[in-house]
Amino acid sequence: MKAIKSIFPLICAVIFTYALNRSWGTTPPFGKLLSPFHGFWVNAENPETEEASLELLKIPGLTAEVQVIYDEMGVPHVFAKNDHDLFMAQGYLTAKDRLWQMEFQTHFAGGRISEIVGEKGMGSDQFQRRMGSIYGAEKSFEGMKEDPKAEEALNAYSDGVNAYISGLSERQLPLEYKLLDYKPETWTPIKSALFLKNMSFVLASGTDDLKMTNILRKYGKKVAEDLFPNYPFDESPIIPVGSPIDFKPVPIPAGPADFTGLGSSMSTPEKDPNIGSNNWAVAGNKTVSGLPMLANDPHLTLQLPSIWYQMQLVAPGVNVYGSTMPGTPNVIIGFNKNVAWGVTNVGSDVLDWYQVKFKDASKREYWHDGKWKKTTLRIETFKVKGKENFVDTIFFTHHGPVVYLSHEKPFRSNIPVGHALRWIAHEKSQELSTFFQLNRAKNYEDYKKALSFYSAPAQNFVFASNEGDIALWVNGKFPLKAPLQGKYLLDGTNAAADWQGFIPQEHNPHVKNPVRGFVSSANQFSTDPSYPYYLGWQYAPSERGRRINERLSVMNKINMDSLRGLQNDNFNIRARKVLPLLMAHVKTNSASQAKALAALKAWNLQNSPESVGATIFETWVLTLQDQVWDDEFSADEKVPMNRPAMDRLIRMMEAEPQAIWWDNVKTASKKETMQDIISSSFGASVDSLTKQHGPLGSEWAWYKHKQTGVRHLIPGMDALSRLNIPIGGGGSIVNAATTKTGPSWRMVVELSKEGKPKAYGVYPGGQSGNPGSAHYDDLIDTWAKGDLKTLLYMENPDQKSPRLRKKIVLSSK
Amino acid sequence: MKKKLNASYQFAVVVILMVLGAIVNVYLPWYVMGLVFAVLGLVLALPAGAGFRLGFVSGFLLWTLAAVLVNVQHPSSLPERMAKVLPLGGNVMALYAVTGLIGGIYGGIWLWAGARLRQKS
Repeated sequence: MKAIKSIFPLICAVIFTYALNRSWGTTPPFGKLLSPFHGFWVNAENPETEEASLELLKIPGLTAEVQVIYDEMGVPHVFAKNDHDLFMAQGYLTAKDRLWQMEFQTHFAGGRISEIVGEKGMGSDQFQRRMGSIYGAEKSFEGMKEDPKAEEALNAYSDGVNAYISGLSERQLPLEYKLLDYKPETWTPIKSALFLKNMSFVLASGTDDLKMTNILRKYGKKVAEDLFPNYPFDESPIIPVGSPIDFKPVPIPAGPADFTGLGSSMSTPEKDPNIGSNNWAVAGNKTVSGLPMLANDPHLTLQLPSIWYQMQLVAPGVNVYGSTMPGTPNVIIGFNKNVAWGVTNVGSDVLDWYQVKFKDASKREYWHDGKWKKTTLRIETFKVKGKENFVDTIFFTHHGPVVYLSHEKPFRSNIPVGHALRWIAHEKSQELSTFFQLNRAKNYEDYKKALSFYSAPAQNFVFASNEGDIALWVNGKFPLKAPLQGKYLLDGTNAAADWQGFIPQEHNPHVKNPVRGFVSSANQFSTDPSYPYYLGWQYAPSERGRRINERLSVMNKINMDSLRGLQNDNFNIRARKVLPLLMAHVKTNSASQAKALAALKAWNLQNSPESVGATIFETWVLTLQDQVWDDEFSADEKVPMNRPAMDRLIRMMEAEPQAIWWDNVKTASKKETMQDIISSSFGASVDSLTKQHGPLGSEWAWYKHKQTGVRHLIPGMDALSRLNIPIGGGGSIVNAATTKTGPSWRMVVELSKEGKPKAYGVYPGGQSGNPGSAHYDDLIDTWAKGDLKTLLYMENPDQKSPRLRKKIVLSSK
Repeated sequence: MKKKLNASYQFAVVVILMVLGAIVNVYLPWYVMGLVFAVLGLVLALPAGAGFRLGFVSGFLLWTLAAVLVNVQHPSSLPERMAKVLPLGGNVMALYAVTGLIGGIYGGIWLWAGARLRQKS
């Protein structure tokens, strides 16, 4: 008894310590985490002083000394003696600022989130792997290794990341590891491939085939094609109309007969990513400097730590500055002494679904081209935190993985069950070679050659050189298809429905030095319908592209400020067209509605942060679309359907006031007219805004309603996010800041004959991924204001500048 | 037999615990401090009640002061952010208090455990 009494406190102490040394579900390990000697307190970093400091770091594996100079934004300018050391330093320095993010993003891409968060990550993980993310990364890694320079870059980068990881003690771990209670694992080159493949997931995994087939099955082909036309009524394509074609097209395959398929799907809610981008280059005869200028702002999910990390990489044969993606070597968007380049996404259809007919329940054979063919199996093991391993079998046809079997519930509602996925992201590819060569490009020919290695996700590569060239290639690997092949689900038994090879890369849409004096892209249609190949039937709405082209065609004496102004342009080109149509028919039936209508009439069509008119207009347009389409096109959640584009609805307002679609089929007794729907949607908009923000007033300001936020990668981690940012713009606005997406990097470059380019840039985040650093989110305010930072382009490591802060020398000794 | 501890003895014990605690915390994992406290409780043959009290005071002071010191030396928005994560409404004072409390209970429970072991014989 006495012994128990003496031992009891010890047992309490051990239990207490054990409990506070580990996480319980999402509850962090409080002891470890709160200890001022080990936990989060240690992650606080001093703001840098103006005084320059010097630090020496030992990194085994370097062949020579690498000098790193940080500027006041925290951008490392890296001077190495050879490419190997350059990429090793890039890996090391990126990990130093962004390790947790690099690992988390590749865990996500590889379907391994459940290793960190447990069972609730399983849906996402299984979806990633069933879509073939690891399979695609393995294929892509094979391709990368065929270029010895790309392989060297990948290996050196990986060694650099691992040199950083191996030097980390537990108390030096990034904050998120402490919160989620795990440790970084060894980095491998295939993780870089996973990251790049994930960009295809982000940018080229949109798929409406199922929803379109559901429409086809319900309304027939005539209605489907009428409401979902294959070229918009209003468009300003990327390749200017009338541009000559400098190649002889290869024959177009005949394509399969119409196929209606089984359609439908059990469903879960789906995210609607508002992802797009802008880029343009203007010729020297339109600029103050007399040389081309280039601008780019890719729109991605706004996140902390930022998707981008600025770096300057210098070694013999290369001096490049720009935005890198943590997890991959090279600069992705940037400039060097002679050229600048940028990217926006191409919305071509590179993902198709084939309805699979299995022989029996074993799924070992499927019917194709008149015979039974063997499936291949891929086993995926999931190490779920706090649970037993989960083993999953994926069946592959020659098309690709059967993402969900007929009885399974898909992770997203646009994914059909019982269909095999044919996707460009599963092809062997060499994207790294493209960026390696772009980083070192001297002129148009170098740029053109670099692009020939690129497959996915297809991008509009804008280009400018100090030789005076501007150009834009719609570039990627595009399947050679019959017109509209893959707009709807395809018949997996029919060989004619297969992809029949690829469009030759040199036939990709392109334009060099057009007479109009500029090239641009904003995710709209690549070309007008005269282009000989079929690339896709649906691209991003044309508003941003039309506005950019409209502005650039009248702009002259262009300088950094005018291009910055265009990047921040808040003009609502959609409202210019739609508002008069709406105003002609709307009737108000209350004092508050009349007041709101008056405010809308007085609106200057700018989606500026404080604008009340913008709030009313944007809400109205959304409500209008709901009221027109929801009765016919989203009735049953088990049969998800697309909604016709705004471009089509505008056409209906202009030319089809009698269309049957205006009537709300849910009100049997009444036949609504266009006027009824326009008025009722306005009334509903005002009511809902009043309910959300009170009576019309400053609370209706566009930015308060829109709520743009830059959110931490861990969902719901508001304390590490920046919310309610005062910024205007919107989805169909050049300044494309929406609630969760927006310009993720803005860059303007002015080239120079002497090889001294002037460049400006900003992204909504900061160089450091550490919430305890002053550089965690210090660029967000500059970004929200629409300002750009001058980018420091250094020519040698001994250069003096008041902007330089600490210097680090990396060496193996 | 109940041992009576005078104030200066108690003060000395707290100082020793804090110094030793700081040293092991700087170099070793966080859970080592508890073992050191237990050994001290055993060696000094402290009464169990006083053991918890003195351990708590030492742990509380050590962790709070260390947290304050870190924040003064490396001023950042991190404590405020963490005070929202935990969630303490962004109140850094509350975060100090919670940090001290965890350190205090941790110190107290181990010193108590060490002291109790001695009373077996």
